[in-house]
Amino acid sequence: MRLVIDERRCKGCNLCTLVCPYRIFSAGKQPNARGIVVPVLDRPERCANCRLQALYGRTLCGMCQMICPDQAISWVEEKPGEAQKVAIEF
Amino acid sequence: MTYSDWLRVDRLPHIYCAGCGNGTVINCTLNAVDRMGWKKEETVFVSGIGCSSRAPGYIVTDSLHTTHGRALAFATGIKMANPELHVVVFTGDGDLAAIGGNHFIHSCRRNIDLTVVCMNNQIYGMTGGQGSPTTPRGALSTTTPYGSQEPAFDLCELASAAGANFVSRWTSYHVKELTRSIHQGLGVPGFSFIEALVQCPTNYGRRNKFRQVMDQVEYFKTHGILVQKAHRLRDEGLPIPADAILLGDMVRRDRPAMGVKR
Ligand SMILES: Cc1ncc(C[n+]2csc(CCOP(=O)(O)OP(=O)(O)O)c2C)c(N)n1
Ligand code: SF4
Repeated sequence: MRLVIDERRCKGCNLCTLVCPYRIFSAGKQPNARGIVVPVLDRPERCANCRLQALYGRTLCGMCQMICPDQAISWVEEKPGEAQKVAIEF
Repeated sequence: MTYSDWLRVDRLPHIYCAGCGNGTVINCTLNAVDRMGWKKEETVFVSGIGCSSRAPGYIVTDSLHTTHGRALAFATGIKMANPELHVVVFTGDGDLAAIGGNHFIHSCRRNIDLTVVCMNNQIYGMTGGQGSPTTPRGALSTTTPYGSQEPAFDLCELASAAGANFVSRWTSYHVKELTRSIHQGLGVPGFSFIEALVQCPTNYGRRNKFRQVMDQVEYFKTHGILVQKAHRLRDEGLPIPADAILLGDMVRRDRPAMGVKR
């Protein structure tokens, strides 16, 4: 699973930066084509959902998705690729 | 299914301002409804007028966007005509407590089997930031330029006193807890009232020293205390901070209810 921000929905309020326990989101700098500064993702593969959603068959933490007032955050299926080394902080 | 299956994606992005808490409450409510496992054909969302009341327009089920303050009157009608339907009402503080105040207390008194989610932004958002019955003392708005001099309504106390079966308050920061309480409220026969304090960065935050959206959400986070803790402090004779926001489930009882599905 991959964490994505839907740029067509995001309005750049940065509430996701407040709640993620891994601090994956941080305030962006560049406005996009719609003039909105979308948050940037820092190593999103650390997200519990990206790693474990398929295994548990349900959404885990999900705080960013719940607090996002614009329904812009979701997880999408990824093509099975080569294994990645992921450093997990507890 | 997940909550996103309940959204009318062709209608998104919605009209709410950047960072408006109403969107968060929609997520929580839809999540709770989704957990109930209800069918879309058997669920109806009703609302009055206001920013918060636009919420049903973004949901795929049948919905009713009614006149200002009358959401509960229409919802009562739906429920009494067909008790098989699950009726959820979205409303704002102005819609519920100002123009719709009487409908509110009488729906609580009758204890009709509805779930009411009130997005309380402590202001009239849609019309440009006039003071509402829940604007806190001292807060600035376009109609209270020197700070509101009136005491504010405590909607949860009002609902409890008027007889609702389930009463709870959370904020747009407490998403998990809010979802859990809405889920509980949906399952309770009788009137369930869930108040969700939300930020209105455009009309409330901007005028009241919350320059960023996050500032007001931080405020909810740092000033919220559980009712149980507040009761404990009171019993121990310790002071409860004046600006504390009491959170949690306030009432859970079993008064006789109307319109319950048999
Ligand atoms: C009968 C009637 N009176 C007044 C209005 C104007 N009006 C529209 S929205 C609104 C206030 C809504 O405030 P609230 O319910 O708090 O919702 P919010 O926009 O803050 O979410 C008012 C007074 C109206 N539409 N109809
Ligand atoms: S005016 Fe306030 S309540 Fe209305 S959409 Fe904007 S932030 Fe939300």
